[in-house]
Amino acid sequence: MNRPQAIDEYRARYARWLATLFALFSASVVVAVVSLGVGSTSISFESVAIAVARRTPIISELVKSIEVSGVEEVIVVEYRLPRVVLGWFVGASLAAAGALFQGIFRNPMADPYVIGVSAGAGLGAAVSILLGLSLAPGVSATPVIAFAFALATVYVVYNIARVGSTAPPTTLLLSGIAVSIFLSSLIMFLEVVAGERLHAIVFWLMGGLWAASWSDVYATAPLFLAGLLVSMLYARDLNIMLFGEESASYLGVEVEHVRRVLVAAASLMTAAAVSVSGLIGFVGLIVPHLTRLAVGPDHRVLVPASALVGASLVMSCDAVARVAYAPGELPVGLITALAGAPFFIYLLKRKKGEYAL
Amino acid sequence: MVYLRVVGVTFAYQSIEALRDVELEVDEGELVGVVGPNGAGKTTLLKTVAGVLKPKVGAVYIGEREVAEMSPREVAKKVGVVPQEPTTYFGFTVFDVVMMGRNPHLGRLSLESQRDYEVVRKALEATNTLHLANRRITELSGGERQRVFIARALAQEPKVLLLDEPVANLDIAYQLETMQLLRKLVDGGIAALAVSHDLNLVSRFCDKVVMLKDGRVVAAGSSGEVLTVENIRRVFGVDVAVRRHPTTNALYVIPLKPVKRFRKVGKRVHVVCGGGSGEPVLHELVERGYDVSAGVLNVLDTDYQVCQDLGIEVVSEAPFSPISEEAVKRNLEAMASADILVLVPTPFGQGNLKNLQALVETAERGKPVVILGNRWGERWDFTGGRATELLRKLKSLGARTVSSVDELESL
Repeated sequence: MNRPQAIDEYRARYARWLATLFALFSASVVVAVVSLGVGSTSISFESVAIAVARRTPIISELVKSIEVSGVEEVIVVEYRLPRVVLGWFVGASLAAAGALFQGIFRNPMADPYVIGVSAGAGLGAAVSILLGLSLAPGVSATPVIAFAFALATVYVVYNIARVGSTAPPTTLLLSGIAVSIFLSSLIMFLEVVAGERLHAIVFWLMGGLWAASWSDVYATAPLFLAGLLVSMLYARDLNIMLFGEESASYLGVEVEHVRRVLVAAASLMTAAAVSVSGLIGFVGLIVPHLTRLAVGPDHRVLVPASALVGASLVMSCDAVARVAYAPGELPVGLITALAGAPFFIYLLKRKKGEYAL
Repeated sequence: MVYLRVVGVTFAYQSIEALRDVELEVDEGELVGVVGPNGAGKTTLLKTVAGVLKPKVGAVYIGEREVAEMSPREVAKKVGVVPQEPTTYFGFTVFDVVMMGRNPHLGRLSLESQRDYEVVRKALEATNTLHLANRRITELSGGERQRVFIARALAQEPKVLLLDEPVANLDIAYQLETMQLLRKLVDGGIAALAVSHDLNLVSRFCDKVVMLKDGRVVAAGSSGEVLTVENIRRVFGVDVAVRRHPTTNALYVIPLKPVKRFRKVGKRVHVVCGGGSGEPVLHELVERGYDVSAGVLNVLDTDYQVCQDLGIEVVSEAPFSPISEEAVKRNLEAMASADILVLVPTPFGQGNLKNLQALVETAERGKPVVILGNRWGERWDFTGGRATELLRKLKSLGARTVSSVDELESL
């Protein structure tokens, strides 16, 4: 290889990253469109396209004359579209949060679900739902309370697990699982006392997008975007911190500050997802691993790419959840766990030395 | 010009003091080695200079500015650190790692500029790692990895380079290569401070040496001033021999044995030996806590060297010269102040016959004499019988032959 070229390639990599992200985004749009057609009523791709087009400003003028079944249009636009879009944001949030947690804890097993953050956010959300808390008339307090509980959970889990300034994989997992079980039993207690709201909480906890509405999308999307923006600003610091905190401080990284900001960002994204969709596990574990294989360990591309892959994964799993047990419906969390748990075991069984982030 | 100054720095981890009143200066183009036993505060010193730890008392200056008043980013623009065994099980490429060195120069929102690429390329070239740019850091050998982390520090464009054990865990070829690289970089105008356990590499490549013990500077200066038998014994608790190597013209240190903390028995023993005959006996007597003296020995005699290394008082004579009257007088004084005299079987000629005469003379005044061992060999008397005559006289004065120091002690 010609030597100067080796470096010149790096100059072109922002363009390459953008191309990758664009391709992943396009793929997620394709998955979205396909999954709009999937469900107890199967709807053709054509009808989906027309139905969406009819509700889109400007484009609606062009397709005005084309006839489409009114029922199909209602199913696609009123029911499936918010659900698919919410699935996009939930998947993106969980996967981005997983990528961040793995980097922050330098631990390939970290994932919002495994380390208990999801359970923490879940407890917060359950409390908020039960008490019917709101920030302002019509504005649910659920995401905020879920976020607060998520942050508190990370703090507790990390401090139980840590040895010096890192949390070794095994202790982090154990403490995450222990805290998770504790929080889950609190949630179960709330279920019992929930009375008539029981059904809502139980189904919500299994992790599902069945109740998706546009207001859920509006609650989740800005939190995800804020979390992503912050993590992009600190992605280079996170890369450096992978080489050890002391080493990072020699390069002018204010380690403690960066870690706090990123834990907050990852918890925010987790809370955003959990408060609208319940506990959907393993997305944040699998997706960053697969994405890393494709785009490498640099968080500047890994985090957004994971988000896009996570979006596609959750939308796909939700489509499967809708048809696998038709006419009934499975919670999407069940599908992700069926795929995720074996993957988790595979990671666990690998030799220690291969913990390559 | 002095670029790095450590002024009266005291640092404590909670209540445990790790540095006390440390003073240090490093000029541009100067490589200073910091040596000292484990726990002496070497790494703490590096962290303090890098601004990661704040001194309790005193200050660190980089150029004109005090480190404590600079932001971590500002410090990182001036001070590059090559950490000890950095964790590297992440799939970043060599280029990625070295580009991280540009971090202090990059804003949160800025992308790497043309100049950043140029600096990284130069850092890779300077450390001979350009050909590795696309390799994953995890695939490299220890020596290559060390060079990459030096390149990362160089990409910071530092005025001061700090290295924590730069050659630990490297084989001798990589050790040499790394130190030569470091020397080259320093000669280019960087001020460098390297912590190392390898006294020989330090003496060979560093302009100055600072020796730390228990957080204090015990000695500082040229390697000749610092790496002395006495300093090393005091600081490391090891007996060493220090020699100047004819090929490298650098001092080298050979560890002999740990200084055993035998209780001083408070007895003086004067040993007559020569030509290497005394070596095992001298070692054993010192170890058992005797105050040992020896003589007369010529300066280039093997036993003279042994005495130097063991810190034994020697009555000496110029190389290859017969023993002078003046030396005989000092030898008699040493014998007189000893509790017991030991003769180790040694060849005697005209040059050293006076040692035997001095023994007889002192024995006649009632001082006990012991002949240690019986290895006289076929020919030891090169004086035409005069030495044999003196030995017979010595024995008739009561000098007994013992086979070991144990037997000597049982007397």
